[in-house]
Amino acid sequence: MRIAALALAAMGLCGCAPEGMIIHRMPAETPAADNAAAIQRAASLAAATEAAAKATAGVEARGEASPPPLTPADAPPPRTYDPWEPLNRFSYRFNARFDETIFLPLSNGYRRVPSPLRSGVHNFFANLAEVDTVINYTLQGRLGRGVRALGRFVVNSTVGIGGLFDFATKLRLENPPTGFGTTLSKWGMHPGPYLVIPILGPSTLREAVGLLGDYGTSYGVNLANLYRGDVSWALWPLNAVDQRSNISFRYYSTGSPFEYETIRFLYVRKLLLEDEGLHKKSARKRRAPDLPAGE
Amino acid sequence: MRERRKYRPRFHAIRYKGRVRLIACFIAAAGLAVMAPAAFADDAVFADDAADQLIASSGTPEPATGLADSAALRATVYGTPPQDIAPMPAKVPLVEINMHMPWARPVPDVFWFGRDLRVWFSSQDKPAPLAIVISGTGGDGNTTVLSTLRGALYGAGYHVLTMPSPTFPGFIVSASTTGVAGDLVQDGHDLYSAMQRVVAHLPGKVRITDIDILGYSLGGANAGVVKSIDASEHKLNIHRAVMIEPPVSLFASVERLDRLFAISIGSGDAGVERLYQKIYAQLANLYRASDRVHVDENFLLTAAAEVLNSDAEFSAAIALTFRIDLMNMFFAGDLYAGTGVVVDPGAPPKVGDSLERTQQILRGKPFSEYFTKVFAPYYLKRRPYSTPESLIAENRLDIIADALRNDPDYYVQTNSDDLILDKAELAWLKNTLGQKIAVYDHGGHLGNIGDRRQVADMLDMLAGRWRGAASGIAP
Repeated sequence: MRIAALALAAMGLCGCAPEGMIIHRMPAETPAADNAAAIQRAASLAAATEAAAKATAGVEARGEASPPPLTPADAPPPRTYDPWEPLNRFSYRFNARFDETIFLPLSNGYRRVPSPLRSGVHNFFANLAEVDTVINYTLQGRLGRGVRALGRFVVNSTVGIGGLFDFATKLRLENPPTGFGTTLSKWGMHPGPYLVIPILGPSTLREAVGLLGDYGTSYGVNLANLYRGDVSWALWPLNAVDQRSNISFRYYSTGSPFEYETIRFLYVRKLLLEDEGLHKKSARKRRAPDLPAGE
Repeated sequence: MRERRKYRPRFHAIRYKGRVRLIACFIAAAGLAVMAPAAFADDAVFADDAADQLIASSGTPEPATGLADSAALRATVYGTPPQDIAPMPAKVPLVEINMHMPWARPVPDVFWFGRDLRVWFSSQDKPAPLAIVISGTGGDGNTTVLSTLRGALYGAGYHVLTMPSPTFPGFIVSASTTGVAGDLVQDGHDLYSAMQRVVAHLPGKVRITDIDILGYSLGGANAGVVKSIDASEHKLNIHRAVMIEPPVSLFASVERLDRLFAISIGSGDAGVERLYQKIYAQLANLYRASDRVHVDENFLLTAAAEVLNSDAEFSAAIALTFRIDLMNMFFAGDLYAGTGVVVDPGAPPKVGDSLERTQQILRGKPFSEYFTKVFAPYYLKRRPYSTPESLIAENRLDIIADALRNDPDYYVQTNSDDLILDKAELAWLKNTLGQKIAVYDHGGHLGNIGDRRQVADMLDMLAGRWRGAASGIAP
């Protein structure tokens, strides 16, 4: 049984899927609910936009110093720094196959689990990650956010029964997670060369180091002996499947031969935009215009 | 005079996953790695100003860029507002079918992922008619628009099979007999063969009582042609066809989109780089001003309302989306036909090769170049008595004009402000189809798919209940 499963997986990864038809039973679509959610979300986004506009107007009225706005000439070059491209392309292709044969079927199966149960799992992992978030906000010198994250952790671990329920968000104690990659960026490190990590996907050298740091932190803190105890082997796969089932990306659904380039471009631009936000107080360094983005 | 709708930024963009794609594509593709030398300094025309001037000079009710008015551009980008969407079923089961087509050509290295044709199927658990829906230009079989139509059709009791466009690279690789997409008749035959194979192998116990065909945009034209092929071959016995917002002349429509690109972005690659820089700076400033920690979907959707304001910006979004689809089709066509525009026929790219440079070159190429350098040479060689002019003429709906006029089972839905049609083409559609066409006042291109009126009319047409626009009851 185990050998057969392994053989199938290996066949899939090597690209020799059986002839004929492959059928994936997808999770059912729920257009009525999606549409209702879209109406609601549109309203809340519109409200958020208005609030943001008011906030900016307030800042301007108080005459607070704000850095000069970016001009189009400040945009990083469209080319991305990718010295390890052949290796990255190999990993990208491996990831596409792994996703198609193993990861996606698993996560599609997982999506059939009743949704309260799934959100429990999701909240549980998010709560575990909160520890790392607290530490990294502190390292970044963003103490307010660090305290909020700590508050979330305390509320969710107690009232939320070990993190299964996200009560903090219900109490409007919202705070996005952060990690060591962002801390490194705050400390002034550039994204570095583009890197496609097997199974995990697009990253850069800095973000990869960040991931190792995050893992090290979780391992070091070893909350409730989860990371070094008897169940640690089950933790990562479950976490991975939970994360995958919340991402709607599908490898090569664009059918485009340029997908590698497109994803690389988008991913690194996202990082660079986030860096602009992190360093908004400090003066912008002029870059040599011919350096590819990310270096 | 037609009333022009006043638009303020709205967020109906968020409906399903896919509408985000357009905006993401816009932001994304805007910068897709252009490494043009700093030559664009002497590229004097600033795209925005040019388009704004055109818009300003053109007077109110007439189409703004010579193509469409403001409301039409906005509707095209944002799609149907979720509050206008017709009632949808709570649950639609969905199966993805990946199928090998025996006639497929050898899969080129760079398309290693596209061996099988991928279609999506939703089946009723009782005997029911089957609705086959074809995607628009460059679209796969599961676009946002298809998902909306699937919901409406499934809710009305149809089995629903959604197919990619024959211009989608996945279709070109897995099911095209030529590899050179864009010919109505050839694509029609390829689609028809693929449909037969898929319908014959639908999984589970599917009891089909009747088959109807639909399609939107280019898929609308494809649907009409497939029905007319079936009328002589009788392999599927397709009953009714509903063509949703089809082009009349394929090449005239795409040329309009190319012109939109030239006006709003500028010709060639420099315009794309300029657009990328502008959008990057805008996003960075918005992000700095916000209190966010991540560049996520919510941020991008909020930002889109700031980034997309003028007619020129909406035009750019539309033109760029089309160009991205064209790039894939151009690349595939050039590769299969061996025409050597961007792919060296002697040494086609291998799996690990970088395609950055190719992508950059293709970004600056309009459809007219695909036609003159890939499409026409390929088909002229295979159709001895044809000329470039005859190829263009064969890609008009005129080729099925008799059927459109005389067969009661062809229907068309379109908008009077659809930017892929001009007035003469709209008039042609009205004349040819007579009572079998519904023309809505507003919606641009695909900006009203799924709304109550469009869905109600579409279902009436499919059921043979449609009695002409006069009897259509406005909600």
